Amino acid sequence: MTGKELRIVGRRVRKVDGIELVTGQAKFTADMKLPGMLYGFARRAGQPAGKLEGVKKDEALKIPGVVDVLTAEDLPGPNLIGVLPPFDQPVLATGDIRYAGESVAFVVAETREAAKRGAAALDVRITEVPPILTVDEALGDGARKIHENGNITFSRKLIKGDADKALAEAPVVVENTYETSFQDHAYLEPETDLAVPGGDGRITVYASCQSPFHLRGLIAANLSVPAGRVKVVQSNTGGSFGGKDDVAVEIGILAAAAALRTGRPVLVAHERGESMVGSNLRHASRITITTGATKEGKIVARKIKIILDGGAYASESPFVVMKALIHAAGPYLIPHVFVESTAVYTNKTYAGAFRGFGVPQVTFASESQMDELAAKLGMNPLTLRKINALRPGDATATGQVFKQSVGLLQAIEILEKERLPEKPEDPSDRYLYGTGHSCMLQGISNGAEGVDVVGATVQVSQDGSALVGLGLTELGQGSRTVYAQIAAEELGIPLETVTVRQVDTDSVHDSGPTVASRSTTVGGMAVLKAAREVKESLLDMAALMLQTDKKEIYFQDGFAILSKNPDARIPLREVATAAYWTGHPLMHLAFSKAPEAKYDHDTHQGSIYIAYNFGAHRMSIRIDRWTGEVRVLEHLAAHDVGKVINPVGLEGQVEGGSLIGYGYAHMEKIEESRGIIRNANFADYAVPSIKDRIPTRTLVVEEANPTGPYGAKGVGEPPVAATAACFANAVSDALGVRFTRLPVTRQDILRALQSGAATHGGDKNG
Amino acid sequence: MKISFRCNGKPMQLEISPETRALDVLRDTLGLTGVKEGCGKGECGACTVLVDGLPVSSCLLPAAKLEGTEVLTIEGLRKPDGSLHPLQQAFLDEGAVQCGFCTPGMIMSAKALLDETPRPQVEDIEEALSGNICRCTGYGKIVQAVMRAAEKSEEGRHDG
Ligand code: FES
Ligand code: FES
Repeated sequence: MTGKELRIVGRRVRKVDGIELVTGQAKFTADMKLPGMLYGFARRAGQPAGKLEGVKKDEALKIPGVVDVLTAEDLPGPNLIGVLPPFDQPVLATGDIRYAGESVAFVVAETREAAKRGAAALDVRITEVPPILTVDEALGDGARKIHENGNITFSRKLIKGDADKALAEAPVVVENTYETSFQDHAYLEPETDLAVPGGDGRITVYASCQSPFHLRGLIAANLSVPAGRVKVVQSNTGGSFGGKDDVAVEIGILAAAAALRTGRPVLVAHERGESMVGSNLRHASRITITTGATKEGKIVARKIKIILDGGAYASESPFVVMKALIHAAGPYLIPHVFVESTAVYTNKTYAGAFRGFGVPQVTFASESQMDELAAKLGMNPLTLRKINALRPGDATATGQVFKQSVGLLQAIEILEKERLPEKPEDPSDRYLYGTGHSCMLQGISNGAEGVDVVGATVQVSQDGSALVGLGLTELGQGSRTVYAQIAAEELGIPLETVTVRQVDTDSVHDSGPTVASRSTTVGGMAVLKAAREVKESLLDMAALMLQTDKKEIYFQDGFAILSKNPDARIPLREVATAAYWTGHPLMHLAFSKAPEAKYDHDTHQGSIYIAYNFGAHRMSIRIDRWTGEVRVLEHLAAHDVGKVINPVGLEGQVEGGSLIGYGYAHMEKIEESRGIIRNANFADYAVPSIKDRIPTRTLVVEEANPTGPYGAKGVGEPPVAATAACFANAVSDALGVRFTRLPVTRQDILRALQSGAATHGGDKNG
Repeated sequence: MKISFRCNGKPMQLEISPETRALDVLRDTLGLTGVKEGCGKGECGACTVLVDGLPVSSCLLPAAKLEGTEVLTIEGLRKPDGSLHPLQQAFLDEGAVQCGFCTPGMIMSAKALLDETPRPQVEDIEEALSGNICRCTGYGKIVQAVMRAAEKSEEGRHDG
C-alpha cells in the first residue's frame, strides 16, 4: 500500500463494465450469429430411470433442415464429465437413464425449430425401471444401485471432542429434524454455448459460464484433443450463482463435437424449461440436530446428521458435503461437535453448486434450533447467540483459531442497537407480527475443497492506462469493478483508465473456479500483487527521471509525484513511455496462493479456510391472518466483510443474495411427481418479483482479514443462508409454531392459521 | 409476407415468414440483440420493447403485428448526441445493474411508465415492472434508479 489513505478502494463507484449493459451493446453468447451457424437441441430421456435400448436417427434426419444427429457413440472421447474424479456423468446417455432430464441424443439443424422437430422425431427406446425418488429409498436395504458403487455419493465426518458424552450430561437438550427443498438458480439468461471450428485445427467455445478452464479441460478430454486445441471465451454471462459449470461443460462438449463433425459453428441455447430440468439445482436436505447446553445458555455440544439429496450425478456433491459438514455447528464456540454429512444419489435432476453451497441448508436448521433452545431456556434468542458467538482466538468446529477478522460479536451488537420497527395501529386485529434472527459463517476460498491459486496480470501501456487479466469471471457480481479499483489504487491512476479484460483461456492464467466467495479475496490479492510489481518497475523509471530515490516518489491521479515537493510531477504516461524505451517491464504476472488447508481427513480438525465471513441478520415481518400473506417490514443484514472495496457492489451482493434467500425460504419449490419436474417455467416456479422484494439494509463490520486485499473478505454467498434462516424464525415468532421445512409458503402459513396450529393466530383467538 | 414499420426511428421493410416472432425479427434480422430472450413465454420481461409506446413481450408477439407500428428497443434509447437516456444513466449510477441480462427489458418497461406517469409512486413502479424478473439485484436499486430518473427528467423539464 502507499501508506497514504485509500483513494479509490472503499469509494462508491459505478460498475466499470456497465455502459454496454444499459445500452444493450453487451454481447451474450446467444447474441452472436455466425455464417453457416447451426442450432443444437438435445432429446431428453423424459423418464427418471430406465435402460436406453437404442436411438434410431432416420426419422429425425428426414426433417427438413436437420443436418446431423449425435448419440453417445458419436462422441470422440470418453463421454464423461464431473467435478471430482472418478467422474460419473455421461454427456449423452449410454446404458442407464438416471434422471428425466438426461440427454440421450443431440440434433443439429439449420434453425432452432428444425432441431427441436428433429429431436422430437427421434425414435428413442427406453425400458422403464422403477425410479428411486427419495433418499430413504436410495439408502434402504437392497435398494437398486443407481451407480455401480451404490447410492452414497460421498460421506464425511467431523469429530471434535466427545459430543455423545457431553450431550448425555447436558442439563438442557433440544433435538429436531429439518428439511429443505431443491432450488433452481433461475439466472435470467439460460445456459448457452457456441462452438466455432477454426481453420487452424483448433476450436473456440464461447460460453455463458463460470469457470472457463474447467470447460476447456473437459471439452478437450471429450474431444480427445490436447487442451491447447480448445479455446474457451467467457461471453457476458447473465447470472450464474454457481450454476453455469457442469451444464456449460455438457452443452459445450455437444456443441464442439457437432461443430467438428459438421465443420460449422453450433449454438446451443437452453430454453427455460431445459434450464430447470437439465441443469443442477440446490441440494434438498434433511438435517437432524441435537444441541446440549447449560442452564445459563452455554452450548456444550452439538450432534448433527445431514443427508443431501444429490440427484442423479455427483457434480459438486462431494464439496457441498464438506461445506455443510464444516458449517453445520454454526458460528459458535462449542467444545464437542459431531457431524456426519452424506450426499445420496436419487433419480432426479442432479444437485450441485448454488450460491451458499450447503450453508443455507445447515444454517436454516442450526438457527431454527438456536431459537428452540432459547425458548426452552426462556432466554432472548439474540442473547443466546451472543453468549456463544465465536470471538477472536476461539476454536471453530474444526478447531481452527482465527486471531483476527472474527466480527460476529460486532455484527450482533449492531443489530442490538437498531430499534425494532414500530407496529402500526391495527384495530381490526388482522395482522400478526414477528421478528427473527440468524447468525452464520461462510468459509472464504476453496479451503478443504482444493488448492487455491489465482494468477493475474497487470499491463501498463505507454499512455499510462492499465489492462488487468485473470481467470476469474464476471458474472454480474461486480468483480471486474473490484479488480479495476485495486489496480487503479495501487498504480495511482484514474479508475476509468483501467480495463479488466474478458476471460479467455488463451490469454489469462488458469485461476481455478469462480466460486466460494473467493474473487475479491484471492483474486483481488493477485491483482494487487501484479499491480505492485509493475509499479516498482515504474517507480524505478520515475526515480531516474526525477533524479531521486524511488522512496521519495508516489503515484496519484496519473502522475509520479515527488513527496517533498508535490509540484514536481511527471505524467505517468511519460514514465510508462520512457519505461518502454528503456526496457523497464510494464507487465507482470503475479500469483496469490491461499495458505493450504491442513486438516485430518477422518475428523476434519485443522485449518480449512483462509477466513470466514460472519453475519447476523434480523427480519421483522407482518402476517395477514386472513390470507397468510407475509410482508417484510425490515431486514437488517450485518456482515463482517473485512474491508469494503466498493459499497455499491457490496450492497448489491447483499440485497441480491438476500432475495434469493427469501425466495428459497418462502416461495420457491420444485414440484416433482414420479421423477418429473412439473413446474419448469417462471409461471409455476415462483421467483421473487419486484413486488416480493424485501427492504434489506446492509450493515458493515470491517474486521480486517490479513489474507485479503486491504483486509477484504468475500460476501457473495453469505446473505442467502442468513436471510432464509431469519425468515423462518420470524414466521415462527409471529405464529407461535415452528416450521421445520423450507420453503414456508403462504399456503403453509394459512394452513397453520386455519388448523389452529398457530398459537398466536388462528380464526378464533383473534 | 412483407411488413413495414418504424424501428428506433428508422423505416423498415422486411420479408418475413408468418410464424416468426417479433423477437426473432428484432434480434436475428435487425441485429438488435439488446432485446433478450429469457423464457420465450411471456414470463420474464427480458424481451420487452415498446410498440407504439406500450411495453410488449416481443417473444409473444407475431412479427406480422409490427406492421405499421413504431417500435423502440434499448438500442434506440440513447440521445442523438450519444449520451445516455436518464434511465440508463440512473441504472448505472444507482448500481441497478449486475449481470445486465434483465436490464434492457427493465429499462424499456420503466420508460413506458415514465412516459405515462412522470412522477411515479413506488407502487406505480412495482406495477409497471412486475413482469420483469431480475435474479441478481433484489430490485431495491432498480426502484431507486427509476425514482432517480424520474427526478432527473423532471429537473430537465424545469431547466427548460
Ligand atoms: S423472453 Fe419474452 S417474456 Fe421472457
Ligand atoms: S441484473 Fe441479472 S437479472 Fe437483473
